[in-house]
Amino acid sequence: MATIFFSEPELVIGHGRKVLFLNPGDLQIFKEIELPPDLTTCGLKLAEPVPVPGPGPRPSHPASSSKQQPAALKEATGSVKVEVSIQNVTYSPDRQLLALTTVGQKAVLLYKSRPENAQLLSIRPLTRASSALRFCSDGSSVLVTDKTGDCYQYDCVEVDAPPRLLLGHLSIVYDILWSEDQQYIITCDRDDKIRVTNYPATFDIHSYCLGHKEFVSGLAMLTEQHIISASGDKTLRVWNYTSGKELLLHELPAPAVRMLVRQLEPEKAYEVAVLLYDHVDAIGVYRLEQTTKESWSITATQMVRAEAGNWHICNFALTDNRIYVTGAENDRLTLRVYDSRNGETATGLPDGWLKMVLDNLDVDAFMPEDLSVWFKKRFDNVSDYLERKKRRIEEQKQQKCG
Amino acid sequence: MVTTTQENDELTWTSTVTGLPQKRYYRQRAHSNPIADHCFDYPARPEDVDWRWLYPSMRADQEVSFADIGCGYGGFLVTLGEMFPEKISIGMEIRVKVSDYVLDRIKALRHRSSDTGAYQNIACLRTNAMKYLPNYFRKGQLEKMFFLYPDPHFKRAKHKWRIINQALLSEYAYVLRKGGLVYTMTDVEDLHIWIVSHMEEHPLYERLTDEEASTDPITPRLYQSSEEGAKVVRNKGDHFLAIFRRL
Repeated sequence: MATIFFSEPELVIGHGRKVLFLNPGDLQIFKEIELPPDLTTCGLKLAEPVPVPGPGPRPSHPASSSKQQPAALKEATGSVKVEVSIQNVTYSPDRQLLALTTVGQKAVLLYKSRPENAQLLSIRPLTRASSALRFCSDGSSVLVTDKTGDCYQYDCVEVDAPPRLLLGHLSIVYDILWSEDQQYIITCDRDDKIRVTNYPATFDIHSYCLGHKEFVSGLAMLTEQHIISASGDKTLRVWNYTSGKELLLHELPAPAVRMLVRQLEPEKAYEVAVLLYDHVDAIGVYRLEQTTKESWSITATQMVRAEAGNWHICNFALTDNRIYVTGAENDRLTLRVYDSRNGETATGLPDGWLKMVLDNLDVDAFMPEDLSVWFKKRFDNVSDYLERKKRRIEEQKQQKCG
Repeated sequence: MVTTTQENDELTWTSTVTGLPQKRYYRQRAHSNPIADHCFDYPARPEDVDWRWLYPSMRADQEVSFADIGCGYGGFLVTLGEMFPEKISIGMEIRVKVSDYVLDRIKALRHRSSDTGAYQNIACLRTNAMKYLPNYFRKGQLEKMFFLYPDPHFKRAKHKWRIINQALLSEYAYVLRKGGLVYTMTDVEDLHIWIVSHMEEHPLYERLTDEEASTDPITPRLYQSSEEGAKVVRNKGDHFLAIFRRL
């Protein structure tokens, strides 16, 4: 996993055991976090290994974790050292706190990001590898979802407090939002669902936004009432999330596996960028405008080819005119920069900086996640049965006649 | 009354004595993995469900209000249909052969009582209730939900497969109306204790008192009408009933 995001004015890249903080203009690294190879040396107390026999309790989560599974098993037995690697990284809205999750040794780390050097506040073990990470608006806690669909809250005031299980889905949760007023937690999963849960009464589901027909890979807040979602069913949809009403459906040329949204004008215009699955135009950039109180429309489209096909794109970040794309080329991490206004390779980056960033991050071979496992596998166990039933009935009839 | 196979080609696995399908053709092992991908056609949202296809004579002002989750061979579902002719009941069953049996059984019952129009108010869906309840039902639509003799999934690692677990109780509360009831019945005491502790821990449910439970007209029928229940009665085993109210 190579994670990248832009949080005005910093570009943040997490990969392997490092998080780099860059100036997006000239790609100068002004800060970095490097994790030790063994997290117990910085305070991680590993949970008692619980042997789980047979298939895991929730085998439907995408087999993407299969790459991590052998490692996890070894970790449980404690016989083989596992490479610690950063999974998700996120800032609190005021950028005072930074949270990151790891695999290898599964943990959630909380940093005070200011002043200059990030200061580790706490390190708490995770039961399972994280799938999404989000702070609440005031930064007092951070939510971690995992591959089995559970969502845990980690307190950021009592930084060593054990996590609280808030809610559970039946499949992997791909993204999570927390409304500005902290009244609703919005989660989306591999079973086509967007769920809106009351907070703090998380046992009470407020609504569902239903309509997607494949996994929902990304969510973003638009206004106080409206969210946008991206899905493997090749659509973007805008919802009133408290009523669950669909306000806009926009067809995409391919399944969407990641989505980022940037506000252009508050309550009015947004830039929505979508990473497309296995498509020649790797990234679609859409201008989304609110036309009336309850309606939205896409008013402009710009496709970014991003040399799709030549390398394996994993993730991207958006600034006001650039798209920073991470991915794998020949099993190595690669970073490329495009101009979001015309979809071409960005110009004006100082020579050598891209290479310097990569040299700083380069770890062992980087195998991108296989996203094909996100899609539901259809296997038909019904027509077979009905066919056999029909045959047996025919046979019985013939026996009676004969 | 004798219904022969010649009368209705679709009912050929039916007994010539009872006119009902014979269970021996529909046997299937009791366990199913509720988390795995299955081949289900499910609606994206409740308003996409064509209920008329399951209940051809349903009135426009009617909607499904009772759900038997994991209805098995449909014994209790049939009882519900008889006890509550004005209510629409749905049985949900994940196993292919078992749900097919219930479909054939209802078809035969409707056929046998075409003069009275009975059994038009029950139907069976092959689906994964753990995953797709919100796809079928609006918030607060259901009046009663039944979990009768659920798969105990004894192994600790499989407790997440149990039909009653912490995360799912919130989903059930979502489709249940306030004041709606959840009936649970099992012959496995450990599972009963598990169910009661999870339900009582959940802020949206309260358990009915023994007196309330015993005066509910459904209670005595729970002991008799499901096949699993009848088996337990035959074996003189224990039953553990618990009823909960959605707050």
